Amino acid sequence: MKFNLKANLIWLGIMVAGFVLIDAAEFTGMVNTFIENAMVTVGINIILATGLNLIIGFAGQFSLGHAGFMAIGAYATGIMTQNMATPLGFWLSVAVGVVIAIIAAIIIGVPTLRLRGDYLAIATMGAAEIIRVVINNLKITNGPAGIFNIPQFATWPVVYVIMCITTIMIANFIHSRAGRAVMSVREDEIAASAMGINTTKWKLAAFVFGAATAAIGGSLHASYLQTIAPGDFGIMNSISLLIIVVLGGTGSLTGTVVAAGVLGVIDTVLQNFGTLRMVIYALALILIMVFKPSGLLGRWELSFKRVGTSKKKEVVDQ
Amino acid sequence: MSLLEVNHLTQQFGGLKAVSDVSLTIEDGELIALIGPNGAGKTTLFNMLTGVNVPTSGEIKMATDKGQVLINGKRTDQVAKLGMSRTFQNIRLFAELSVLDNIKIAMTSNTRENFVETMLRLPSFYKKESAIEDEARKLLTDFQLIRYARSTAGSLPYGLQRRVEIVRALATKPRLLFLDEPAAGMNPEETADLTAVISRIQKDYGVTVVLIEHDMSLVMNLAQRIYVLDHGSLIASGTPAEIKQNPAVVAAYLGGEAVAEG
Repeated sequence: MKFNLKANLIWLGIMVAGFVLIDAAEFTGMVNTFIENAMVTVGINIILATGLNLIIGFAGQFSLGHAGFMAIGAYATGIMTQNMATPLGFWLSVAVGVVIAIIAAIIIGVPTLRLRGDYLAIATMGAAEIIRVVINNLKITNGPAGIFNIPQFATWPVVYVIMCITTIMIANFIHSRAGRAVMSVREDEIAASAMGINTTKWKLAAFVFGAATAAIGGSLHASYLQTIAPGDFGIMNSISLLIIVVLGGTGSLTGTVVAAGVLGVIDTVLQNFGTLRMVIYALALILIMVFKPSGLLGRWELSFKRVGTSKKKEVVDQ
Repeated sequence: MSLLEVNHLTQQFGGLKAVSDVSLTIEDGELIALIGPNGAGKTTLFNMLTGVNVPTSGEIKMATDKGQVLINGKRTDQVAKLGMSRTFQNIRLFAELSVLDNIKIAMTSNTRENFVETMLRLPSFYKKESAIEDEARKLLTDFQLIRYARSTAGSLPYGLQRRVEIVRALATKPRLLFLDEPAAGMNPEETADLTAVISRIQKDYGVTVVLIEHDMSLVMNLAQRIYVLDHGSLIASGTPAEIKQNPAVVAAYLGGEAVAEG
Protein backbone atom coordinates (compact mmCIF):
# COMPACT_ATOMS: atom_id res chain seq x y z
CA MET A 1 0.00 0.00 0.00
CA LYS A 2 2.61 2.50 1.06
CA PHE A 3 4.84 1.64 -1.89
CA ASN A 4 1.90 1.83 -4.25
CA LEU A 5 1.24 5.37 -3.12
CA LYS A 6 4.90 6.25 -3.59
CA ALA A 7 5.05 4.66 -7.05
CA ASN A 8 1.82 6.37 -8.10
CA LEU A 9 3.16 9.74 -6.93
CA ILE A 10 6.35 9.22 -8.96
CA TRP A 11 4.26 8.48 -12.05
CA LEU A 12 2.13 11.57 -11.43
CA GLY A 13 5.33 13.60 -11.06
CA ILE A 14 6.68 12.33 -14.38
CA MET A 15 3.44 13.17 -16.17
CA VAL A 16 3.26 16.67 -14.72
CA ALA A 17 6.95 17.23 -15.49
CA GLY A 18 6.38 16.14 -19.10
CA PHE A 19 3.51 18.56 -19.41
CA VAL A 20 5.45 21.45 -17.91
CA LEU A 21 8.45 20.70 -20.14
CA ILE A 22 6.38 20.77 -23.33
CA ASP A 23 4.51 23.83 -22.11
CA ALA A 24 7.79 25.66 -21.45
CA ALA A 25 9.11 24.68 -24.87
CA GLU A 26 5.91 25.99 -26.46
CA PHE A 27 6.07 29.18 -24.44
CA THR A 28 9.67 29.99 -25.33
CA GLY A 29 8.91 29.34 -28.99
CA MET A 30 11.23 26.35 -29.34
CA VAL A 31 8.40 24.32 -30.80
CA ASN A 32 7.25 25.30 -34.28
CA THR A 33 4.09 24.00 -35.93
CA PHE A 34 6.02 21.21 -37.57
CA ILE A 35 7.47 19.86 -34.33
CA GLU A 36 4.19 20.28 -32.50
CA ASN A 37 2.49 18.29 -35.23
CA ALA A 38 5.08 15.53 -34.81
CA MET A 39 4.65 15.51 -31.03
CA VAL A 40 0.86 15.29 -31.20
CA THR A 41 1.18 12.48 -33.74
CA VAL A 42 3.42 10.63 -31.29
CA GLY A 43 0.85 11.17 -28.54
CA ILE A 44 -2.00 9.84 -30.67
CA ASN A 45 0.14 6.91 -31.78
CA ILE A 46 0.81 6.05 -28.13
CA ILE A 47 -2.94 6.01 -27.44
CA LEU A 48 -3.56 3.77 -30.45
CA ALA A 49 -0.56 1.48 -30.00
CA THR A 50 -0.97 0.81 -26.27
CA GLY A 51 -4.51 -0.39 -27.02
CA LEU A 52 -3.17 -2.59 -29.81
CA ASN A 53 -0.46 -3.91 -27.49
CA LEU A 54 -3.17 -4.91 -25.01
CA ILE A 55 -4.76 -7.03 -27.76
CA ILE A 56 -1.57 -8.41 -29.36
CA GLY A 57 1.02 -8.37 -26.60
CA PHE A 58 -1.04 -9.15 -23.51
CA ALA A 59 -4.03 -11.11 -24.80
CA GLY A 60 -1.96 -12.70 -27.60
CA GLN A 61 -4.62 -12.07 -30.25
CA PHE A 62 -3.03 -10.98 -33.50
CA SER A 63 -5.34 -8.21 -34.70
CA LEU A 64 -4.72 -6.18 -37.84
CA GLY A 65 -7.94 -4.21 -37.66
CA HIS A 66 -6.99 -1.35 -35.39
CA ALA A 67 -7.37 1.36 -38.06
CA GLY A 68 -11.02 0.37 -38.48
CA PHE A 69 -11.84 1.25 -34.88
CA MET A 70 -9.77 4.41 -35.21
CA ALA A 71 -11.91 5.36 -38.21
CA ILE A 72 -15.09 4.94 -36.17
CA GLY A 73 -13.85 7.42 -33.56
CA ALA A 74 -12.54 9.83 -36.18
CA TYR A 75 -15.80 9.93 -38.11
CA ALA A 76 -17.90 10.21 -34.95
CA THR A 77 -15.95 13.34 -34.05
CA GLY A 78 -15.77 14.63 -37.64
CA ILE A 79 -19.50 14.40 -38.17
CA MET A 80 -20.70 15.46 -34.72
CA THR A 81 -18.43 18.44 -34.14
CA GLN A 82 -19.41 19.96 -37.46
CA ASN A 83 -22.98 20.16 -36.21
CA MET A 84 -22.09 20.93 -32.64
CA ALA A 85 -18.88 22.94 -32.61
CA THR A 86 -18.47 23.25 -28.86
CA PRO A 87 -16.14 21.48 -26.42
CA LEU A 88 -19.21 19.65 -25.12
CA GLY A 89 -19.94 18.47 -28.65
CA PHE A 90 -16.36 17.25 -28.99
CA TRP A 91 -16.40 15.24 -25.76
CA LEU A 92 -19.82 13.88 -26.63
CA SER A 93 -18.48 12.79 -30.01
CA VAL A 94 -15.57 11.00 -28.32
CA ALA A 95 -18.04 9.13 -26.13
CA VAL A 96 -20.25 8.24 -29.10
CA GLY A 97 -17.20 7.02 -31.03
CA VAL A 98 -16.17 4.82 -28.10
CA VAL A 99 -19.66 3.34 -27.76
CA ILE A 100 -19.92 2.56 -31.49
CA ALA A 101 -16.41 1.10 -31.49
CA ILE A 102 -17.30 -1.14 -28.52
CA ILE A 103 -20.41 -2.39 -30.30
CA ALA A 104 -18.42 -2.98 -33.50
CA ALA A 105 -15.68 -4.77 -31.56
CA ILE A 106 -18.21 -7.12 -29.98
CA ILE A 107 -19.83 -7.85 -33.35
CA ILE A 108 -16.42 -8.46 -34.97
CA GLY A 109 -14.82 -10.13 -31.97
CA VAL A 110 -17.39 -12.79 -31.12
CA PRO A 111 -16.98 -14.72 -34.38
CA THR A 112 -13.35 -13.89 -35.21
CA LEU A 113 -11.70 -14.41 -31.81
CA ARG A 114 -12.29 -18.14 -32.21
CA LEU A 115 -9.59 -18.02 -34.85
CA ARG A 116 -5.89 -18.20 -34.10
CA GLY A 117 -2.75 -16.44 -35.28
CA ASP A 118 -2.65 -15.55 -38.95
CA TYR A 119 -6.30 -16.49 -39.52
CA LEU A 120 -7.37 -13.98 -36.89
CA ALA A 121 -5.08 -11.35 -38.46
CA ILE A 122 -6.74 -11.82 -41.86
CA ALA A 123 -10.25 -11.80 -40.38
CA THR A 124 -9.70 -8.59 -38.40
CA MET A 125 -8.01 -7.00 -41.40
CA GLY A 126 -11.12 -7.84 -43.44
CA ALA A 127 -13.38 -6.42 -40.74
CA ALA A 128 -11.44 -3.14 -40.73
CA GLU A 129 -11.68 -3.01 -44.53
CA ILE A 130 -15.46 -3.45 -44.25
CA ILE A 131 -15.63 -0.47 -41.88
CA ARG A 132 -13.54 1.59 -44.30
CA VAL A 133 -15.64 0.60 -47.33
CA VAL A 134 -18.87 1.39 -45.48
CA ILE A 135 -17.51 4.84 -44.60
CA ASN A 136 -16.42 5.25 -48.22
CA ASN A 137 -19.96 4.70 -49.46
CA LEU A 138 -22.12 6.49 -46.90
CA LYS A 139 -23.57 9.95 -47.50
CA ILE A 140 -23.20 11.10 -43.90
CA THR A 141 -19.42 10.48 -44.05
CA ASN A 142 -19.15 12.40 -47.34
CA GLY A 143 -17.80 9.32 -49.15
CA PRO A 144 -14.26 9.13 -50.54
CA ALA A 145 -13.78 12.91 -50.32
CA GLY A 146 -13.84 12.80 -46.53
CA ILE A 147 -14.66 15.58 -44.10
CA PHE A 148 -12.95 19.00 -44.03
CA ASN A 149 -12.97 21.91 -41.62
CA ILE A 150 -13.44 19.82 -38.51
CA PRO A 151 -13.20 22.26 -35.57
CA GLN A 152 -9.99 21.79 -33.62
CA PHE A 153 -10.60 20.92 -30.00
CA ALA A 154 -7.79 18.41 -29.65
CA THR A 155 -4.91 20.75 -28.97
CA TRP A 156 -1.66 19.31 -27.64
CA PRO A 157 -2.60 19.60 -23.93
CA VAL A 158 -5.83 17.68 -24.61
CA VAL A 159 -3.93 14.95 -26.46
CA TYR A 160 -1.32 14.80 -23.71
CA VAL A 161 -3.85 14.42 -20.90
CA ILE A 162 -5.92 11.84 -22.79
CA MET A 163 -2.73 9.94 -23.60
CA CYS A 164 -1.86 9.80 -19.89
CA ILE A 165 -5.39 8.72 -18.94
CA THR A 166 -5.69 5.92 -21.52
CA THR A 167 -2.20 4.62 -20.72
CA ILE A 168 -3.02 4.58 -16.99
CA MET A 169 -6.29 2.79 -17.69
CA ILE A 170 -4.59 0.11 -19.76
CA ALA A 171 -1.82 -0.30 -17.18
CA ASN A 172 -4.44 -0.59 -14.42
CA PHE A 173 -6.30 -3.17 -16.45
CA ILE A 174 -3.15 -5.23 -16.96
CA HIS A 175 -2.09 -5.12 -13.32
CA SER A 176 -5.29 -6.61 -11.99
CA ARG A 177 -7.28 -9.80 -11.91
CA ALA A 178 -8.51 -8.99 -15.42
CA GLY A 179 -4.99 -8.52 -16.74
CA ARG A 180 -3.81 -11.80 -15.27
CA ALA A 181 -6.75 -13.61 -16.84
CA VAL A 182 -6.00 -12.01 -20.21
CA MET A 183 -2.32 -12.99 -20.03
CA SER A 184 -3.19 -16.57 -19.07
CA VAL A 185 -5.12 -16.81 -22.34
CA ARG A 186 -2.00 -15.70 -24.20
CA GLU A 187 0.18 -18.23 -22.36
CA ASP A 188 -1.99 -21.34 -22.67
CA GLU A 189 -5.69 -21.33 -23.53
CA ILE A 190 -6.34 -24.93 -22.50
CA ALA A 191 -4.69 -24.51 -19.12
CA ALA A 192 -6.48 -21.19 -18.61
CA SER A 193 -9.90 -22.71 -19.18
CA ALA A 194 -9.01 -25.64 -16.92
CA MET A 195 -8.36 -23.03 -14.22
CA GLY A 196 -11.91 -21.72 -14.61
CA ILE A 197 -11.10 -18.82 -16.91
CA ASN A 198 -13.66 -18.09 -19.61
CA THR A 199 -11.16 -17.55 -22.41
CA THR A 200 -13.67 -16.17 -24.91
CA LYS A 201 -14.87 -13.56 -22.43
CA TRP A 202 -11.38 -12.31 -21.56
CA LYS A 203 -10.18 -12.26 -25.17
CA LEU A 204 -13.23 -10.19 -26.02
CA ALA A 205 -12.66 -7.90 -23.04
CA ALA A 206 -9.12 -7.08 -24.21
CA PHE A 207 -10.28 -6.68 -27.81
CA VAL A 208 -13.13 -4.33 -26.85
CA PHE A 209 -10.91 -2.30 -24.52
CA GLY A 210 -8.30 -1.92 -27.27
CA ALA A 211 -10.98 -0.91 -29.76
CA ALA A 212 -12.35 1.73 -27.37
CA THR A 213 -8.95 3.38 -26.99
CA ALA A 214 -8.48 3.21 -30.76
CA ALA A 215 -11.72 5.17 -31.16
CA ILE A 216 -10.43 7.80 -28.71
CA GLY A 217 -7.20 8.05 -30.71
CA GLY A 218 -9.25 8.40 -33.90
CA SER A 219 -11.34 11.23 -32.42
CA LEU A 220 -8.20 13.15 -31.42
CA HIS A 221 -6.66 12.50 -34.84
CA ALA A 222 -9.72 13.94 -36.61
CA SER A 223 -10.01 16.93 -34.33
CA TYR A 224 -6.31 17.81 -34.44
CA LEU A 225 -5.75 17.40 -38.19
CA GLN A 226 -9.22 18.82 -39.00
CA THR A 227 -9.40 16.71 -42.15
CA ILE A 228 -10.18 13.03 -42.52
CA ALA A 229 -10.77 10.71 -45.47
CA PRO A 230 -11.41 6.95 -45.65
CA GLY A 231 -7.93 6.50 -47.12
CA ASP A 232 -6.38 7.56 -43.79
CA PHE A 233 -7.63 4.38 -42.14
CA GLY A 234 -6.40 1.67 -44.47
CA ILE A 235 -4.44 -1.46 -43.75
CA MET A 236 -1.17 0.51 -43.83
CA ASN A 237 -2.28 2.42 -40.74
CA SER A 238 -2.98 -0.80 -38.87
CA ILE A 239 0.44 -2.04 -39.90
CA SER A 240 2.27 1.10 -38.83
CA LEU A 241 0.64 0.73 -35.41
CA LEU A 242 1.68 -2.91 -35.40
CA ILE A 243 5.25 -1.78 -36.14
CA ILE A 244 5.22 0.43 -33.04
CA VAL A 245 3.98 -2.46 -30.88
CA VAL A 246 6.46 -5.01 -32.24
CA LEU A 247 9.35 -2.57 -32.18
CA GLY A 248 8.74 -1.60 -28.57
CA GLY A 249 8.18 -5.17 -27.48
CA THR A 250 4.87 -7.03 -27.50
CA GLY A 251 3.74 -7.15 -23.92
CA SER A 252 5.54 -3.99 -22.75
CA LEU A 253 3.60 -0.74 -22.40
CA THR A 254 6.83 1.12 -21.69
CA GLY A 255 8.20 -0.31 -24.92
CA THR A 256 5.23 0.97 -26.89
CA VAL A 257 5.64 4.48 -25.51
CA VAL A 258 9.39 4.45 -26.23
CA ALA A 259 8.92 3.00 -29.73
CA ALA A 260 6.25 5.56 -30.62
CA GLY A 261 8.66 8.28 -29.49
CA VAL A 262 11.68 6.83 -31.32
CA LEU A 263 9.76 6.34 -34.55
CA GLY A 264 8.36 9.87 -34.23
CA VAL A 265 11.88 11.28 -33.94
CA ILE A 266 13.21 9.16 -36.83
CA ASP A 267 10.25 10.20 -38.95
CA THR A 268 10.76 13.89 -38.16
CA VAL A 269 14.50 13.83 -38.79
CA LEU A 270 14.06 11.94 -42.04
CA GLN A 271 11.65 14.51 -43.46
CA ASN A 272 14.71 16.21 -44.99
CA PHE A 273 15.73 13.13 -46.93
CA GLY A 274 12.77 13.14 -49.31
CA THR A 275 12.20 9.84 -51.07
CA LEU A 276 15.09 8.17 -49.25
CA ARG A 277 13.02 8.52 -46.08
CA MET A 278 11.05 5.30 -46.41
CA VAL A 279 14.22 3.37 -47.30
CA ILE A 280 16.07 4.55 -44.20
CA TYR A 281 12.96 4.01 -42.07
CA ALA A 282 12.66 0.44 -43.31
CA LEU A 283 16.36 -0.14 -42.80
CA ALA A 284 16.12 1.06 -39.20
CA LEU A 285 13.26 -1.36 -38.59
CA ILE A 286 15.15 -4.27 -40.12
CA LEU A 287 18.23 -3.52 -38.04
CA ILE A 288 16.26 -3.36 -34.80
CA MET A 289 14.45 -6.60 -35.61
CA VAL A 290 17.72 -8.37 -36.47
CA PHE A 291 19.58 -7.27 -33.36
CA LYS A 292 16.63 -7.14 -30.93
CA PRO A 293 13.93 -9.52 -32.17
CA SER A 294 11.85 -9.21 -29.01
CA GLY A 295 11.55 -5.46 -29.54
CA LEU A 296 13.43 -2.61 -27.93
CA LEU A 297 12.34 -3.51 -24.40
CA GLY A 298 11.05 -7.07 -24.73
CA ARG A 299 8.59 -7.52 -21.88
CA TRP A 300 10.38 -5.14 -19.55
CA GLU A 301 8.27 -2.50 -17.82
CA LEU A 302 9.37 0.63 -16.06
CA SER A 303 8.14 0.20 -12.49
CA PHE A 304 8.81 2.11 -9.32
CA LYS A 305 6.99 -0.37 -7.15
CA ARG A 306 9.49 -3.15 -7.81
CA VAL A 307 12.44 -0.94 -6.91
CA GLY A 308 10.85 -0.19 -3.57
CA THR A 309 9.65 -3.65 -2.55
CA SER A 310 11.88 -6.25 -4.16
CA LYS A 311 14.68 -6.33 -1.61
CA LYS A 312 12.44 -6.41 1.45
CA LYS A 313 10.08 -9.07 0.14
CA GLU A 314 12.80 -11.46 -1.06
CA VAL A 315 14.33 -11.56 2.40
CA VAL A 316 10.98 -12.57 3.86
CA ASP A 317 10.59 -15.19 1.13
CA GLN A 318 13.78 -16.97 2.06
CA MET B 1 -24.67 -39.26 -3.17
CA SER B 2 -21.30 -39.84 -4.79
CA LEU B 3 -19.17 -36.83 -5.61
CA LEU B 4 -18.87 -37.95 -9.22
CA GLU B 5 -21.06 -40.42 -11.01
CA VAL B 6 -20.16 -41.58 -14.51
CA ASN B 7 -22.64 -43.67 -16.46
CA HIS B 8 -21.93 -45.53 -19.71
CA LEU B 9 -19.46 -42.98 -21.00
CA THR B 10 -18.27 -43.47 -24.59
CA GLN B 11 -15.96 -41.42 -26.77
CA GLN B 12 -15.70 -42.22 -30.43
CA PHE B 13 -13.08 -40.64 -32.71
CA GLY B 14 -14.21 -41.61 -36.22
CA GLY B 15 -13.97 -45.39 -36.29
CA LEU B 16 -12.01 -45.60 -33.07
CA LYS B 17 -13.73 -46.10 -29.74
CA ALA B 18 -11.19 -44.49 -27.42
CA VAL B 19 -13.38 -45.00 -24.37
CA SER B 20 -16.31 -47.35 -24.45
CA ASP B 21 -19.13 -47.70 -21.95
CA VAL B 22 -17.22 -46.71 -18.83
CA SER B 23 -19.17 -46.36 -15.59
CA LEU B 24 -17.59 -45.41 -12.30
CA THR B 25 -18.25 -43.54 -9.09
CA ILE B 26 -15.99 -41.39 -6.98
CA GLU B 27 -16.86 -40.76 -3.35
CA ASP B 28 -16.06 -37.57 -1.48
CA GLY B 29 -12.57 -37.60 0.05
CA GLU B 30 -11.26 -40.62 -1.82
CA LEU B 31 -7.90 -41.00 -3.52
CA ILE B 32 -8.41 -42.97 -6.68
CA ALA B 33 -5.94 -44.15 -9.31
CA LEU B 34 -6.75 -44.81 -12.92
CA ILE B 35 -4.24 -47.16 -14.50
CA GLY B 36 -3.87 -49.03 -17.75
CA PRO B 37 -1.38 -49.66 -20.55
CA ASN B 38 -0.46 -46.89 -23.00
CA GLY B 39 -3.33 -45.98 -25.29
CA ALA B 40 -5.94 -47.45 -22.94
CA GLY B 41 -7.96 -44.22 -23.01
CA LYS B 42 -7.05 -42.81 -19.61
CA THR B 43 -6.32 -39.27 -20.76
CA THR B 44 -9.36 -39.32 -23.06
CA LEU B 45 -11.48 -40.23 -20.05
CA PHE B 46 -9.88 -37.36 -18.08
CA ASN B 47 -10.55 -34.97 -20.92
CA MET B 48 -14.22 -35.93 -20.97
CA LEU B 49 -14.56 -35.61 -17.22
CA THR B 50 -13.01 -32.12 -17.21
CA GLY B 51 -14.96 -30.83 -20.18
CA VAL B 52 -12.10 -30.71 -22.70
CA ASN B 53 -13.77 -33.36 -24.89
CA VAL B 54 -17.52 -33.77 -25.32
CA PRO B 55 -18.49 -37.42 -24.80
CA THR B 56 -20.18 -39.24 -27.69
CA SER B 57 -22.67 -40.73 -25.26
CA GLY B 58 -23.17 -41.35 -21.57
CA GLU B 59 -23.44 -38.94 -18.67
CA ILE B 60 -21.21 -37.41 -16.01
CA LYS B 61 -22.89 -36.08 -12.89
CA MET B 62 -21.18 -34.17 -10.15
CA ALA B 63 -22.51 -33.39 -6.69
CA THR B 64 -22.35 -29.66 -5.94
CA ASP B 65 -23.86 -27.34 -3.36
CA LYS B 66 -26.88 -27.01 -5.64
CA GLY B 67 -27.41 -30.75 -5.99
CA GLN B 68 -26.31 -33.03 -8.82
CA VAL B 69 -25.16 -31.26 -11.98
CA LEU B 70 -24.74 -32.82 -15.39
CA ILE B 71 -21.18 -32.09 -16.55
CA ASN B 72 -21.15 -33.21 -20.16
CA GLY B 73 -21.81 -30.43 -22.63
CA LYS B 74 -20.36 -27.83 -20.27
CA ARG B 75 -17.27 -25.82 -21.19
CA THR B 76 -14.00 -26.55 -19.39
CA ASP B 77 -14.12 -23.29 -17.45
CA GLN B 78 -17.69 -23.96 -16.31
CA VAL B 79 -16.68 -27.43 -15.14
CA ALA B 80 -13.71 -25.88 -13.33
CA LYS B 81 -16.00 -23.42 -11.56
CA LEU B 82 -18.10 -26.33 -10.30
CA GLY B 83 -15.06 -27.51 -8.37
CA MET B 84 -13.06 -29.68 -10.73
CA SER B 85 -9.42 -28.93 -11.41
CA ARG B 86 -6.63 -30.75 -13.20
CA THR B 87 -3.01 -30.95 -14.24
CA PHE B 88 -1.78 -32.07 -17.62
CA GLN B 89 0.32 -34.97 -18.85
CA ASN B 90 2.68 -32.55 -20.58
CA ILE B 91 2.97 -29.68 -18.10
CA ARG B 92 0.94 -26.65 -19.09
CA LEU B 93 2.09 -23.79 -16.91
CA PHE B 94 1.78 -20.15 -17.90
CA ALA B 95 5.46 -20.47 -18.68
CA GLU B 96 6.44 -16.82 -19.13
CA LEU B 97 4.64 -15.57 -16.04
CA SER B 98 5.92 -15.75 -12.49
CA VAL B 99 5.05 -18.66 -10.21
CA LEU B 100 3.05 -16.24 -8.06
CA ASP B 101 1.05 -15.03 -11.06
CA ASN B 102 0.36 -18.63 -12.07
CA ILE B 103 -1.27 -19.18 -8.69
CA LYS B 104 -3.11 -15.85 -8.76
CA ILE B 105 -4.56 -16.68 -12.17
CA ALA B 106 -6.03 -19.88 -10.77
CA MET B 107 -7.78 -17.73 -8.15
CA THR B 108 -9.49 -15.60 -10.81
CA SER B 109 -12.88 -17.28 -10.68
CA ASN B 110 -13.01 -17.17 -6.87
CA THR B 111 -12.36 -13.43 -6.67
CA ARG B 112 -14.20 -10.34 -7.83
CA GLU B 113 -12.83 -6.95 -8.83
CA ASN B 114 -15.15 -4.60 -10.62
CA PHE B 115 -14.18 -2.34 -13.49
CA VAL B 116 -14.52 0.95 -11.63
CA GLU B 117 -12.34 -0.01 -8.67
CA THR B 118 -9.74 -1.52 -11.02
CA MET B 119 -9.55 1.62 -13.16
CA LEU B 120 -9.61 4.14 -10.32
CA ARG B 121 -7.44 2.03 -7.99
CA LEU B 122 -9.86 2.51 -5.12
CA PRO B 123 -8.80 1.31 -1.66
CA SER B 124 -11.14 -1.67 -2.09
CA PHE B 125 -9.04 -2.73 -5.10
CA TYR B 126 -5.81 -2.77 -3.09
CA LYS B 127 -7.56 -4.64 -0.31
CA LYS B 128 -8.73 -7.36 -2.68
CA GLU B 129 -5.35 -7.54 -4.42
CA SER B 130 -3.47 -7.94 -1.16
CA ALA B 131 -5.93 -10.63 -0.04
CA ILE B 132 -5.24 -12.51 -3.29
CA GLU B 133 -1.50 -12.00 -2.84
CA ASP B 134 -1.57 -13.27 0.75
CA GLU B 135 -3.59 -16.33 -0.12
CA ALA B 136 -1.32 -17.19 -3.06
CA ARG B 137 1.79 -16.75 -0.92
CA LYS B 138 0.30 -18.90 1.81
CA LEU B 139 -0.29 -21.73 -0.66
CA LEU B 140 3.25 -21.40 -2.01
CA THR B 141 4.69 -21.40 1.50
CA ASP B 142 2.64 -24.47 2.33
CA PHE B 143 4.24 -26.40 -0.53
CA GLN B 144 7.79 -25.03 -0.11
CA LEU B 145 7.60 -22.99 -3.30
CA ILE B 146 7.69 -19.51 -1.81
CA ARG B 147 11.32 -18.89 -2.67
CA TYR B 148 10.43 -19.33 -6.35
CA ALA B 149 7.45 -16.94 -6.14
CA ARG B 150 9.05 -14.39 -8.46
CA SER B 151 10.78 -16.88 -10.76
CA THR B 152 9.45 -17.38 -14.25
CA ALA B 153 7.43 -20.61 -14.09
CA GLY B 154 8.98 -22.03 -17.27
CA SER B 155 12.51 -21.61 -15.93
CA LEU B 156 12.05 -23.99 -12.97
CA PRO B 157 13.36 -27.57 -13.01
CA TYR B 158 10.93 -30.23 -14.12
CA GLY B 159 9.98 -31.57 -10.69
CA LEU B 160 9.22 -28.08 -9.38
CA GLN B 161 7.16 -27.24 -12.45
CA ARG B 162 5.02 -30.29 -11.69
CA ARG B 163 4.58 -29.14 -8.14
CA VAL B 164 3.66 -25.60 -9.22
CA GLU B 165 1.09 -27.07 -11.60
CA ILE B 166 -0.46 -29.12 -8.80
CA VAL B 167 -0.52 -26.13 -6.43
CA ARG B 168 -2.02 -24.01 -9.21
CA ALA B 169 -4.80 -26.58 -9.64
CA LEU B 170 -5.31 -26.53 -5.88
CA ALA B 171 -5.59 -22.72 -5.91
CA THR B 172 -8.90 -22.96 -7.78
CA LYS B 173 -10.29 -24.49 -4.54
CA PRO B 174 -11.47 -27.70 -6.17
CA ARG B 175 -13.46 -30.50 -4.58
CA LEU B 176 -12.12 -32.91 -7.13
CA LEU B 177 -8.58 -32.83 -8.48
CA PHE B 178 -7.40 -34.79 -11.51
CA LEU B 179 -3.68 -35.43 -11.87
CA ASP B 180 -2.55 -36.74 -15.25
CA GLU B 181 0.70 -38.69 -14.78
CA PRO B 182 2.14 -36.46 -12.06
CA ALA B 183 5.24 -38.64 -11.59
CA ALA B 184 6.13 -38.97 -15.28
CA GLY B 185 9.83 -38.32 -15.84
CA MET B 186 10.62 -37.87 -12.16
CA ASN B 187 13.54 -39.41 -10.30
CA PRO B 188 12.82 -41.49 -7.15
CA GLU B 189 13.53 -38.56 -4.85
CA GLU B 190 11.14 -36.29 -6.72
CA THR B 191 8.52 -39.05 -6.73
CA ALA B 192 8.78 -39.37 -2.96
CA ASP B 193 8.24 -35.62 -2.58
CA LEU B 194 5.30 -35.84 -4.93
CA THR B 195 3.73 -38.68 -2.95
CA ALA B 196 3.86 -36.51 0.16
CA VAL B 197 2.32 -33.56 -1.71
CA ILE B 198 -0.56 -35.62 -3.07
CA SER B 199 -1.41 -37.22 0.23
CA ARG B 200 -1.33 -33.80 1.92
CA ILE B 201 -3.77 -32.45 -0.65
CA GLN B 202 -6.16 -35.27 0.19
CA LYS B 203 -5.74 -35.12 3.97
CA ASP B 204 -5.04 -31.47 4.84
CA TYR B 205 -7.09 -29.82 2.10
CA GLY B 206 -9.87 -32.40 1.98
CA VAL B 207 -9.73 -32.63 -1.80
CA THR B 208 -10.78 -35.79 -3.60
CA VAL B 209 -7.94 -36.86 -5.90
CA VAL B 210 -8.04 -38.95 -9.06
CA LEU B 211 -4.72 -39.71 -10.67
CA ILE B 212 -3.49 -41.41 -13.79
CA GLU B 213 -0.12 -42.97 -13.15
CA HIS B 214 2.28 -45.55 -14.52
CA ASP B 215 4.53 -45.56 -11.47
CA MET B 216 3.05 -48.58 -9.66
CA SER B 217 4.86 -48.01 -6.37
CA LEU B 218 3.25 -44.56 -6.17
CA VAL B 219 -0.17 -45.93 -7.11
CA MET B 220 -0.03 -48.80 -4.62
CA ASN B 221 1.20 -46.46 -1.87
CA LEU B 222 -1.41 -43.78 -2.34
CA ALA B 223 -4.57 -45.09 -3.92
CA GLN B 224 -7.49 -46.32 -1.88
CA ARG B 225 -9.24 -47.67 -4.95
CA ILE B 226 -7.99 -48.37 -8.44
CA TYR B 227 -9.80 -48.45 -11.75
CA VAL B 228 -8.08 -50.30 -14.60
CA LEU B 229 -8.72 -49.31 -18.19
CA ASP B 230 -7.67 -51.34 -21.24
CA HIS B 231 -8.59 -50.73 -24.88
CA GLY B 232 -11.10 -48.13 -23.77
CA SER B 233 -13.03 -50.40 -21.42
CA LEU B 234 -12.98 -50.74 -17.68
CA ILE B 235 -11.59 -54.19 -16.94
CA ALA B 236 -11.24 -54.09 -13.16
CA SER B 237 -11.72 -52.01 -10.05
CA GLY B 238 -10.89 -52.52 -6.41
CA THR B 239 -8.33 -51.94 -3.69
CA PRO B 240 -4.62 -52.09 -4.56
CA ALA B 241 -4.37 -55.58 -3.08
CA GLU B 242 -7.27 -56.85 -5.17
CA ILE B 243 -5.94 -55.26 -8.36
CA LYS B 244 -2.52 -56.89 -7.92
CA GLN B 245 -4.20 -60.31 -7.91
CA ASN B 246 -6.68 -59.62 -10.72
CA PRO B 247 -5.95 -61.93 -13.71
CA ALA B 248 -7.50 -59.54 -16.25
CA VAL B 249 -5.16 -56.75 -15.10
CA VAL B 250 -2.12 -58.99 -15.25
CA ALA B 251 -3.16 -60.04 -18.76
CA ALA B 252 -3.60 -56.45 -19.88
CA TYR B 253 -0.12 -55.54 -18.70
CA LEU B 254 1.79 -58.72 -19.57
CA GLY B 255 -0.14 -59.97 -22.61
CA GLY B 256 -2.87 -62.53 -23.27
CA GLU B 257 -0.85 -65.64 -22.41
CA ALA B 258 -0.82 -64.68 -18.76
CA VAL B 259 -4.52 -65.48 -18.61
CA ALA B 260 -4.01 -68.87 -20.26
CA GLU B 261 -1.27 -69.69 -17.80
CA GLY B 262 -3.10 -68.27 -14.80
